Amino acid sequence: MWWRSASFILDKGLNDEVQDESESLRVSPSNTSMADTLQNPNPKISAYYQTRAAHHGVVTSDWLAQAQAAVGRHPDDLPPPKVEDSGKPFSVIDEFNSWRKQPDLAEAVAAIRALASVIRSSQATTMMELEIELKKASDSLKSWDTTSISLTAGCDLFMRYVTRTSALEYENFNSAKSRLIERAERFGEISYKARRIIAMLGQDFIFDGCTILVHGFSRVVLEVLKTAAQNKKLFRVFCTEGRPDRTGLRLSNEMAKLDVPVKLLIDSAVAYTMDEVDMVFVGADGVVESGGIINMMGTYQIALVAHSMNKPVYVAAESYKFARLYPLDQKDMAPALRPIDFGVPIPSKVEVETSARDYTPPQYLTLLFTDLGVLTPSVVSDELIQLYL
Amino acid sequence: MPDVQALVNEFIIKLKKRKVEGSQATARMTAELLRSVISQQRVPYNNQAGALIDAIKAVGEQLIAANPVELAVGNIVRRVLHIIREEDLSLATAAVAGLNLSAVSDDEDDGEREDHPVLSAAAVAAAARSTLRPPSLQTLLEDMPDSAAVPQSSSSGGDSEGKSKSADKSSRSRKLKHDIIEAVNELIQDIATCHEQISEQAVEHIHQNEVILTLGRSRTVMEFLCAAKEKKRSFRVFVAEGAPRYQGHVLAKELVARGLQTTLITDSAVFAMISRVNMVIVGAHAVMANGGVIAPVGLNMVALAAQRHAVPFVVLAGTHKLCPLYPHNPEVLLNELKSPSELLDFGEFSDCMDFGSGNGSPLLHVVNPAFDYVPPKLVSLFITDTGGHNPSYMYRLIADYYSADDLVVQRRPASGN
Repeated sequence: MWWRSASFILDKGLNDEVQDESESLRVSPSNTSMADTLQNPNPKISAYYQTRAAHHGVVTSDWLAQAQAAVGRHPDDLPPPKVEDSGKPFSVIDEFNSWRKQPDLAEAVAAIRALASVIRSSQATTMMELEIELKKASDSLKSWDTTSISLTAGCDLFMRYVTRTSALEYENFNSAKSRLIERAERFGEISYKARRIIAMLGQDFIFDGCTILVHGFSRVVLEVLKTAAQNKKLFRVFCTEGRPDRTGLRLSNEMAKLDVPVKLLIDSAVAYTMDEVDMVFVGADGVVESGGIINMMGTYQIALVAHSMNKPVYVAAESYKFARLYPLDQKDMAPALRPIDFGVPIPSKVEVETSARDYTPPQYLTLLFTDLGVLTPSVVSDELIQLYL
Repeated sequence: MPDVQALVNEFIIKLKKRKVEGSQATARMTAELLRSVISQQRVPYNNQAGALIDAIKAVGEQLIAANPVELAVGNIVRRVLHIIREEDLSLATAAVAGLNLSAVSDDEDDGEREDHPVLSAAAVAAAARSTLRPPSLQTLLEDMPDSAAVPQSSSSGGDSEGKSKSADKSSRSRKLKHDIIEAVNELIQDIATCHEQISEQAVEHIHQNEVILTLGRSRTVMEFLCAAKEKKRSFRVFVAEGAPRYQGHVLAKELVARGLQTTLITDSAVFAMISRVNMVIVGAHAVMANGGVIAPVGLNMVALAAQRHAVPFVVLAGTHKLCPLYPHNPEVLLNELKSPSELLDFGEFSDCMDFGSGNGSPLLHVVNPAFDYVPPKLVSLFITDTGGHNPSYMYRLIADYYSADDLVVQRRPASGN
């Protein structure tokens, strides 16, 4: 006769310590992490989700205008001038942070560009030294935020891309180095353009008169919908609010700007409206080996409801998000916590589930749109095996 | 070329009037037609592959438009385009490899030349192959910039070996067409023998004392079952008649002639009889990129019955039926309406078909769809001439046989190649 042990009593002791740390941060939830320190000061709070909240959470329009002015420029601009760096040693984290501040740039792409600039500014004189430097930079980026899957996957792929080339058989170090820089920039370009390719593939699946359900705010999905709207397709969008960041509100603004009929739902209203929906579009924070995805909290719920009502669930994800992880259940990943603001003070005895993401198993997904093409979930493990074997 | 144009027009008329029956016959005739187009096409001195691709695309566009439901036509057009690209690439890499080797041997003293990316022939071939393969994480990470290095090295080799290169090229032009036509012949051969290849696998799937269910009549299924019978397997077959054409009756007669115990049932009786069946084996009209099947009408119902009773649903399809498009694609016509006279006799129902009444349209409509779409989750196994596969494996076969550039067969108007 088995029954569940009350292990939550044992776990409570552990959680109490976590509570104390996160308490201090509940006061200022939208603080972006410090740019000066090399180490993320609060490893328990996921910097990845904090950034997302800062970029896409609900903000007033004049705050937004101020922030835009502060960033100052178009995402396509060159990185900040290197002159200032001549005084102090080159820090890949600084470089990364300066790229990361642009809301349109994906984190992994920022990391790739930062690593590319590591090669450029490296003082190494041999190939081996350069590789070691790169590895160190990549490791420090990865450890800065262990919860971001696309960051880790992007760094890993970059390292493989850059070092795994017969161009390194050159005798001349300088030409080899310039080749590496070329490849690094190329990889950065590919990753940056990935969204456009995915948008072109994805908008093909949107037919006239369809209803699309979207969860929260995903830049890739936004690109898909924008492309479909530009191709004069008539469709409407149901957008979930996406608590606690309420990023869905931002998406509804964007849809309104494109003159696409949009309806906002609270997260609990998904099952209620699911029978009117024709397809579900979500982005992904990471695509795991089984073909499942890790995405913002709530995605698994939506996928379950859609599956039970036979609605297709489409995922739009760039290829650098393919990670070598295989979560067996929801708790099998590194925890990524995100403080939630309920608007009223919560007594300290009450526990709050602060995880920012969940894992959706592959059987609930229909197709993945990536820059490698339209894939079924079972293809992902194939791709990863081919690459890493 | 007026010769070829006449052949093309003739074939288009046949397709439009639906005179060609069955995807295998259509595929074979398309391949033969394209072969004549290639052999008659005059190619310029440079970039012959581009000219051939243009010609095939122009013809292909017309053929596909003539009968959009017959996906085998589009499949064969795309296969031929892929063959042209592959042969061109393999010839190019062979030529460059040859040049590289001779460059190395001639200029051993020239230190500057060695500094140039004189990559091994294997690396060049790998780079070339990767541009032809569909994008995967691996190709994304392979030496893409080296393909830019390939023409560089060939041009550097060119000024020292001008004469030999031009002689090379003219023999190359003849060789390209020759190789392509050889490959297309192989394709035609494959199409013709697909039934044998599939039937060879029958023994692995049909075991002693099994009960098989099928619907209508598919030649592939018939040969499959007969091959198992040849190998001394004793089994029984339930044949659903396949209204309104009742081809199941023909199949039942043929199976009895071969000595197989056969039971004939109506389509509506499938759900009632499915619990007595071990396996369902059917043919297909076309297989889509997601693993979904366009099959004769009634098969979606059989697939649902099979799933409900946990009976494996096996689909037999030759590789010419494999289509790289997805079913949502507007180019793909999932269904075609056939003549309602197969259902109802005009004579009996002439009073219902009265066009003179009220709004001018009769109250009785008779619809006779030809096909059904079976979603991939209902299919247990695909048996093709290359072996047995999962529905989720279809993307791999598609990647082997088709190029990503050919998904939309449209001749680019301002092609300057």
